[in-house]
Amino acid sequence: MRRIASRSLYMLLILALSSIAVFYAIRLSGGDATAARLPASASAEDRAQFRDQLGLDDPVYEQYFRYMGRVVQGDFGSSITNNAKISNLVKEHGRNSLVLGASAFVLVFAIGVPLGVLAAVRRNRSADAGIMTFSVVGMAIPNFWLALLAVWLFASTLGWLPSAGCCGIKQLILPASVLALEGIALTVRMTRSAMLENLGADFVRTLRAGGLSELRVIGRHVLRNAMVPIVSLAGLRIGQIVGYALVVETIFGWPGLGQVLVTAVLRRDYPVAQFFSLVLIAVVVASNWLADVGYTVVNPRLRRA
Amino acid sequence: MSATRSSTPGCAVPDRQAPIGPAATGAGPPGLALSICNLRTVIRTEGVDHEVVRGLSLDIQPDEIVCLVGESGCGKTMTALSALRLVPSPPARVVGGEVMLAGRDLLKLSNREMRAVRTEEISMIFQDPLTSLDPVFTVGQMLIEVICTHRPLSKRDATDLAISALGGVGLPAPHQQIDAYPHQLSGGMRQRVMIAMALMLDPSVLIADEPTTALDVTVQAQILDRLLEEQRKRHMAMLLITHDLAIVASIADRVAVMYSGEIVELAPVRELFSNPRHPYTQGLLKALPSARSKGVLYSIPGRVPPPQFPPPGCHFAPRCPYAVSRCWQQYPELTGEGLHQMRCFNPQPFDPS
Amino acid sequence: MPTDPEAARYLREWDDRLQDYEDRQRITAVRQLLRRMGRNRLLLIGTVLGFVVLFLGLFGPVISGVDYRTQSFRNIHRPPFSEGHLLGTDELGRDIAIRLFIGIRVSLLVAAGVTTLALVAGVLLGMTGGWTGGWTDRAVRGGVDFVWGFPLILVAVLFAGGLGEGLFPVILAVGLVNTAAIARVVRGEVLVLKQREFIEAAHAAGVSTVRIMGRHVVPNILAPTMVLASYYVAVAVVAEAALSFVGLGAQPPLPSLGRMVSDGRNFLRVNHWEATIPGLAIVMLVLSVSLIGDGLRDVFDPRLRHEAKGVEE
Repeated sequence: MRRIASRSLYMLLILALSSIAVFYAIRLSGGDATAARLPASASAEDRAQFRDQLGLDDPVYEQYFRYMGRVVQGDFGSSITNNAKISNLVKEHGRNSLVLGASAFVLVFAIGVPLGVLAAVRRNRSADAGIMTFSVVGMAIPNFWLALLAVWLFASTLGWLPSAGCCGIKQLILPASVLALEGIALTVRMTRSAMLENLGADFVRTLRAGGLSELRVIGRHVLRNAMVPIVSLAGLRIGQIVGYALVVETIFGWPGLGQVLVTAVLRRDYPVAQFFSLVLIAVVVASNWLADVGYTVVNPRLRRA
Repeated sequence: MSATRSSTPGCAVPDRQAPIGPAATGAGPPGLALSICNLRTVIRTEGVDHEVVRGLSLDIQPDEIVCLVGESGCGKTMTALSALRLVPSPPARVVGGEVMLAGRDLLKLSNREMRAVRTEEISMIFQDPLTSLDPVFTVGQMLIEVICTHRPLSKRDATDLAISALGGVGLPAPHQQIDAYPHQLSGGMRQRVMIAMALMLDPSVLIADEPTTALDVTVQAQILDRLLEEQRKRHMAMLLITHDLAIVASIADRVAVMYSGEIVELAPVRELFSNPRHPYTQGLLKALPSARSKGVLYSIPGRVPPPQFPPPGCHFAPRCPYAVSRCWQQYPELTGEGLHQMRCFNPQPFDPS
Repeated sequence: MPTDPEAARYLREWDDRLQDYEDRQRITAVRQLLRRMGRNRLLLIGTVLGFVVLFLGLFGPVISGVDYRTQSFRNIHRPPFSEGHLLGTDELGRDIAIRLFIGIRVSLLVAAGVTTLALVAGVLLGMTGGWTGGWTDRAVRGGVDFVWGFPLILVAVLFAGGLGEGLFPVILAVGLVNTAAIARVVRGEVLVLKQREFIEAAHAAGVSTVRIMGRHVVPNILAPTMVLASYYVAVAVVAEAALSFVGLGAQPPLPSLGRMVSDGRNFLRVNHWEATIPGLAIVMLVLSVSLIGDGLRDVFDPRLRHEAKGVEE
């Protein structure tokens, strides 16, 4: 319990630090915010007035506290490119991102863990070799390229699935699979090596000496022990999904948070870029925290007091 | 000299009928509790098999304690694991021999039959109780799981049995400790759990592989006493693997000295300590620190030959002060009179100084 | 020594042969390592692939001798093996082969920059933290955990937001995250090493800290760090490509593999090679590095021998 409490505090600290980092990074950017909104022909006075309106000339820390004050009150501001309210943007795109991310996350573990177990149990046989080849190649294929190939093959050539769009099951299949592939490849490897490590552990011998069947020894005890490192890195997997979602959402035209963030960064739409970065960081930090809690649950050695 | 070969199939170990040790009092049922015969186990490294157990034969009577002693790496643990068919495979595998228990050859049983025999008829206790217990399950979960694979008991009955087994080996507050994880127990407590697990289904044979080596000196005696008490109470046959000769002297009925994967001397404990015949056994005894050996400790010169490069004749010849040319040409068989047997062409009287 | 002269002779012969055998074993220890490396198929395939890619990146532009910026609107979307263009041309009629070579060069440069940065900073940070302990260590651990938990792409997008597009923010962002990853492992290794007897012995013997670090710590963390570094080279290559793909990395007209895939994506029906060839190059590059990493780990990491655990007495 102490561990969970301290991790929670740590999580809040990280959130605060990241918000400052993000704020500074975006404010200190070399680009000019006014270019995003005003036409190129705008006069210097117009630009100055615009900057004044947004408070862009105040010291950065002042801007930060003003901004955080507004965020805490639930006022997230609006986009400078199209005036859309950011709170609406988050609501609308957040749901889509959640659907995509959650499906990818489920795929990662639903496919990665069983394949890894299979490879470990059949180690040095053809099934193992096949699975490990898949894993190595899966990690080497950049997902944006895979996304293109998938669109080209399944959408353009075969016409089985739509190439882009939202938000039905059919539109979800391609982006979710592409997003999950690298996670699957990594999870397979990790599961395999964790399984092998625990298969060689002394307690396996004890359980066999106790007369348990291999199915129970491996399926219950070895697997449960192997899950400890896998769960501890589940937060990292979520982080990875969040990161790659930026790219995959863009390609598949999946209207999620990532797509909006990339567009905003490219267009220098500060309020949007800033807030969406914060949202994604919050998701990552929270998922790391969740993984930590999960780790405490699967690993009784941490539950001492 | 009525030399009798013993490492032949069929294992005509002499004087098998002669009552030995406590069995002489007629406490146990007739016949052997465990009979290992001509056991061969190899380990494959880089595509080549090396024998680590080289035709080992050993009988244990009910109610008897046999100690298996020898340097590290001589194959003691592999022998025990082979008997239970628990050798890590790959790279190791049992390639020959018999392990007779209650009229059946364990090496010929199906996997399912073998699983039913483990813990029910023959149990094993391992050296390091921390790594030998599953860290993510409670003690109770493990015991109950083992009970339920062997007995058609309800969860409640299995729990009761587990608690009484834990209480039986002197674990304080067993109905609380049953929910403890291994890391929450001390080393001695963990080893008690291992003992409880090994004994709860009343096996007729127990193999204990250095059960006290990983423990604090202060609890070693407690654990050993507990084991002995249980052994006496159940008239169980026990094979105790150790390299602590003090333990051997105090509890063994018979002692088997192992060297390089085979038994080099086998004798009742008193006989072995008072009249060791094999030069290796003599070396082991001389290496014991005693009041007489002031300051200077004796150690056997040289080291165990690598299994990849076995000597041509007797495996101890390279380290043996009494070796003659025959020792380098011929492989000695286990011979001897009565209960005292050894594998040596040129035994010498023991000079303890 | 046996008293029997005949037995003594046998013993000498035996000892000689055993000595020979063990000498052979010792000499072959190095050779065995090399042979294991040679026999390791992963390492072999990875190295061969790596050399091919490296060769293309280094000498491709010299050999082909074309300029990667030359446009030719009469020769757009040519398929591979068309006249004068081995791999065809893109939508501006630029030679894909030369752009691919330059793209590989860019990838390699970014990877080299990132890995140098991450290795130097990561090893220094990890060693300092692991060795000194106390507050320094807590600071290192806090910083490392902070950075390490973040998705690479997100950090890079933020850096690009702050520093503008281009290769520099990419190198910085990926380098930062990889630094954290390497520092994390190095710290762990050093913590374990610190407890080892030979380090304590060196300490007790009054060997200076710098010397202990140089002589004992660095050699011992070298193998795991190199294995790790090879993984992060792969990470760097993929990250650069992904960022260039979304438009944040290399800026035109400088070709980058990610950028080329991105440019080609609109012409998949016309000439899919414009996107598939650079993609394949990325796969080859990443595959070679991660195979080398896997192979090195197989050869060096003794933990893989866990399958033989429990055999020794």
